[in-house]
Amino acid sequence: MNALLVAEDVKASYSSPRGFIRAVDGVSMDINYGDVLGIAGESGCGKSTLSNVLMMNIRPPLSFLGGKVLLDGKQDLAAMGREKVKAQMWGRVIALVPQSALNALVPTRKVGAFIKDVLRYHLKLSARETMDLAERRFRELGLPVEALTKYPHQLSGGMRQRVVISVVTLLNPKLLIVDEPTSALDVSTQKQVLKMLLHLRAKHIVRAIVFIAHDIAILRQIATRIAIMYAGKVVEVGPMERVFQGPLHPYAYSLIHSVLTPEPEVRERGLSYIAGEPPALVHPPEGCRFHPRCPRSLPICSREEPPLIGLGEDRFVACHLVLGRH
Amino acid sequence: MGNARLVVSAALFLAVVLFGLAGRWAYPVDPVSRVGGKLQTPSWEHPLGTDVQGRDVLAQLIHGTGTSLSIGITASVIAVAIAIVVGVISGYRGGLMDDSLMASANVVLAFPVILLLLVVAVFVPVRSPMVVALLIGFTSWPGLARAIRSQIMSLKEREFVFLSRMTGCGGVRIAFVDLLPNMMTYVFTSSVVIMSAAMLAEAGLSMIGVGVTKGTSLGTMLFWAQLSDAVRRGFFWWFIPPGGVLTVACASLLLLATALDQLFNPRLKER
Amino acid sequence: MLKVSDLTEVYTAGFLQRGSVVAVDEANFAVQEGETVSLVGESGSGKTTTAHIILRLLPPTSGKVVFEGRDIWAFKTKKELKGYWHKVHGIFQDPYAAFNPIYKADRILYQVFNLMDRGVRDRRRLVREALEAVKLRPEEVLGRYSHQLSGGQRQRMMVARCYLLKPQLIIADEPVSMVDASGRAGILKLFLELRDLYGTAVVFITHDLGLAYYMSHRILVMHKGRIVEEGAPEKILGDPQHSYTRKLIADIPLIGRKWEDI
Repeated sequence: MNALLVAEDVKASYSSPRGFIRAVDGVSMDINYGDVLGIAGESGCGKSTLSNVLMMNIRPPLSFLGGKVLLDGKQDLAAMGREKVKAQMWGRVIALVPQSALNALVPTRKVGAFIKDVLRYHLKLSARETMDLAERRFRELGLPVEALTKYPHQLSGGMRQRVVISVVTLLNPKLLIVDEPTSALDVSTQKQVLKMLLHLRAKHIVRAIVFIAHDIAILRQIATRIAIMYAGKVVEVGPMERVFQGPLHPYAYSLIHSVLTPEPEVRERGLSYIAGEPPALVHPPEGCRFHPRCPRSLPICSREEPPLIGLGEDRFVACHLVLGRH
Repeated sequence: MGNARLVVSAALFLAVVLFGLAGRWAYPVDPVSRVGGKLQTPSWEHPLGTDVQGRDVLAQLIHGTGTSLSIGITASVIAVAIAIVVGVISGYRGGLMDDSLMASANVVLAFPVILLLLVVAVFVPVRSPMVVALLIGFTSWPGLARAIRSQIMSLKEREFVFLSRMTGCGGVRIAFVDLLPNMMTYVFTSSVVIMSAAMLAEAGLSMIGVGVTKGTSLGTMLFWAQLSDAVRRGFFWWFIPPGGVLTVACASLLLLATALDQLFNPRLKER
Repeated sequence: MLKVSDLTEVYTAGFLQRGSVVAVDEANFAVQEGETVSLVGESGSGKTTTAHIILRLLPPTSGKVVFEGRDIWAFKTKKELKGYWHKVHGIFQDPYAAFNPIYKADRILYQVFNLMDRGVRDRRRLVREALEAVKLRPEEVLGRYSHQLSGGQRQRMMVARCYLLKPQLIIADEPVSMVDASGRAGILKLFLELRDLYGTAVVFITHDLGLAYYMSHRILVMHKGRIVEEGAPEKILGDPQHSYTRKLIADIPLIGRKWEDI
């Protein structure tokens, strides 16, 4: 397993009138070549912020507070800073498809013209060269070349999303981060987009994908590894099958058992439910952030924060109960 | 920071109001009778001098400000009232009612107001401030009506409206109790702007003779000054003060409008 | 109890009505007392339009909706309308848009007393009881504005409204799609309780077949305004007949079974 990007104890927070919102508070994560790493968690857990931090897209009110982001074990993106990372890495080494990206296409430019603008800015290619590149990539990905001559509003939502993904990966970035790419799409279109993402990896157009989603069922279908976040922290990481079949952290357990799919097992088992709300990240609880809602919390949980500890075989958990600490 | 703007603009405007309303007690001189020699420069007796008929300019200014202010407020109230009724009915009911109301709004917007006023001037030669206020009010509503209409049209598809309808609330009640209050901050800010525009309109109309003809307003002062060629002949005490007060009043109102906007939309502050 | 016959809704646009969209195309279905039925379809399938017609918010272009033997679009008096809404009520998807931001949140509860005749002292007690029934602490939500409450709290208040009314039929339009996964089960449990305690029938309008499967006695699949398939959840999932249903089921991500064609 070769690490492409390693985040070490990364911290980032937003400044707001109420104080600092510690959106990402000490997150460590490995992204290996060939991975489809799914990051799961509910609203406010920090996964979208993390996606921005991984590529150092950090601007006020967000500020980077510490930690390292190591590329290929050598370069620390955090030390390089936003401007350098932007100039050297964005689009070429790391690319991000943020939420609602299908609205990122400029509505008054035809898709082809938009791509030309993007490529000529980054690569200084001629108009003809950029068109060739775009057409070739579209054909490779099974997208109709005619889409290049259309305006965004003439394309369906699913098509727009796929166009955005292909634009973002035109320069073959090693790491592609996608944030909720399918939440606005219907089920069949969603599958097309997921297929396309896996295709990108299979063809080595990208080497690894970080897939951020709140719908765990999607991750079950395409992720190779899964990381679960809660209140700015990672609570469990591991190979997807194993985490799904045997989640260790109580929150991970609840989350996985609250998935609503049309399957008999779900109906028989019943849905898991956690009372309360995730904590406001301005003043997170003392100790483990999940302990106020945890059905199995111990006295130590309200005092000491559990560290993320490896259990071997790529399994990591941050929980006193699991780690047998009393 | 926005608060400074609010305080300053409100204070300035209030000063103008105070001047126009309470000034006549502090300076109880009759603006229409001859009190001194003609075209006298400012003196202790007549701080702003006299006009071509020997009337005290300061007294005229005080009364004129009061008149212009009341025209401004009245016109604004009329315009806002019409805009609310038209905008709410048009936006909520839609259909033919909407089409016809908006067509009439377009007519009022496009209609050459000067023409209308010239016709009115012929048939109603003696025009009190109230008449002018009515005229301005009846021609200033379309813009706000359209804005209200579009807001209503978007809000009426919101779920809270459905929930209200399902408790048996009729259309009128929904429009005025559920929807309109959501827009009151915008309506209020707009009424401030309309008032400013109305005062300017009155001044301009009166100055060319199609506005107020009975009574003293800032516009009529400018009319008489202009008639006596005050600018060319250098009677600065006569034509500068009305323009000055008008400028302060309108500028402070517009500044107040932007301050109110910031107050009601805190997100604007972050820019 | 409720019968929808040949329901059609055509939206027309333009002054001369040149452009038209058929949102609902001769829909036919019935809901029995105490039944839970799901109307499943993707966006644009006409399911929300159907819900609005049944809730008497949008008149149909043609077709009938008959409740307890009476055509609901033939009602003339306010009394008849109020009577209908007392028995058939709606819960909507967006916990933000369901509250009028300038009023306090509990207005959505007190509003429903319009549909009943109750004394004032009674009202406060009933509101408290309804809040407790949905596991909300009255002190936490009464007197607050909606922006001070969380999404889950707001959605629960919508259900509390139904506890107050105790309607015979609830039309719930995507009631949990904007609620986090961990909170969903709690809200769905409330629906189950309403069914068990008061025999309330529910029509779920949703794109989520998982929700439909979990909660319903019967599922109706809607596509482009038509009801293309109807049946018990097991049958729809195990033995789908219509090609649209089959594609839908094949494309839903499941936990127990992985896609082979991806």
